Amino acid sequence: MSLIEIEKKEVPEKPVEPLRVRGIPFFPHFLLREVVVMCLIAGSLIMLASIYPAPLLKPADPFDTPTPIYPEWYFLYVFGFLKFWTWDIGPIPAKIIGVSLPMVLWYGLLFLVPFIDRNPSSEFKKRKIAVALGVIALAGILYFTYFSIVHH
Amino acid sequence: MTLNEKIYKWFDERFKLSELLPPIVKHPAPDNVISNPLYCLGGTAFLCFLILVITGIFLAMYYKPTPLEAYNSVEHIMTVVPMGSLVRSVHHWAANAMIAAVMLHMMRIYFMGAYKKPRELNWVVGVSLLLITTTFGFSGYLLPWDQLSFWATKIGTGIAGSIPIIGGYISLILVGGNDIGAETITRFFTIHVMILPITIAVFLILHFAMVRIQGISGRL
Repeated sequence: MSLIEIEKKEVPEKPVEPLRVRGIPFFPHFLLREVVVMCLIAGSLIMLASIYPAPLLKPADPFDTPTPIYPEWYFLYVFGFLKFWTWDIGPIPAKIIGVSLPMVLWYGLLFLVPFIDRNPSSEFKKRKIAVALGVIALAGILYFTYFSIVHH
Repeated sequence: MTLNEKIYKWFDERFKLSELLPPIVKHPAPDNVISNPLYCLGGTAFLCFLILVITGIFLAMYYKPTPLEAYNSVEHIMTVVPMGSLVRSVHHWAANAMIAAVMLHMMRIYFMGAYKKPRELNWVVGVSLLLITTTFGFSGYLLPWDQLSFWATKIGTGIAGSIPIIGGYISLILVGGNDIGAETITRFFTIHVMILPITIAVFLILHFAMVRIQGISGRL
């Protein structure tokens, strides 16, 4: 904080040109807030790390399959969907669909979001379909994460 | 003239600081960004990234990427190296926090409709950053070489391998052979500490440059 105060004095106050947006200047006011938030987050991480240290189980053994095996929490939905989808479609086996849908198709759709949603409005009420689809996608991800934990 | 002023003048005469600094320093942060804490999520992810870089460098000093030594070196970090346990645990938690922050940041952008014209490409770069971040997590998960990381990677590479057409290649590139072993751990280590950091740096620069040029979406 004192560092910011010192540096502030070095930049002489000059008449500022009319600003594009209303708001507080990035430096030092906005940056100071950011530094406070950063300290809070860094502190929380250190606290979490000291209370719950990173786990280290037994050494890897290729001949001993443990149960249950969980992937990282952010991949659980893929895992869950693979277990959920048990139907072949024509010649395509269920496993291929179970893998492609949550990975290839899902990320493909995510990439294309701005090109699919051409509605220029960003007001909640004027983009009911986009918001509804977002809620459905979110609920789906949460459901398949839940599914992967329950149906292990 | 104080020392500070002398130092400032020295740099000002050489780099025209008085012209360069004001646009950065006086650039206003919009009101809605200040009042809504949801706008912190992207910055939180970036802070986690910085913490991960620093703790990761220290971990790389002690870590040995071979099947015989990986587990022992991590155990060494956790029990012998001063503060090693704290550094590894912070790395672990910052990684999880970063992925959560990136996902929540994406949800904010989606529900606020901030990806719309002219910010379409920044959304695409953002989704790439999410992919890179999860790949970071996936490659880092194997490195401790314990039961959980070994078998989770076995399932993960198996799932990636069953993607039609490209899956076989992805699996071969990741595993480096038929089964997870010495080739896999050096590959995952290289991906985790060399390939992905360079990739994410490029995408982060693009991401931030676009935010700077286009401004933060002030709608909603």
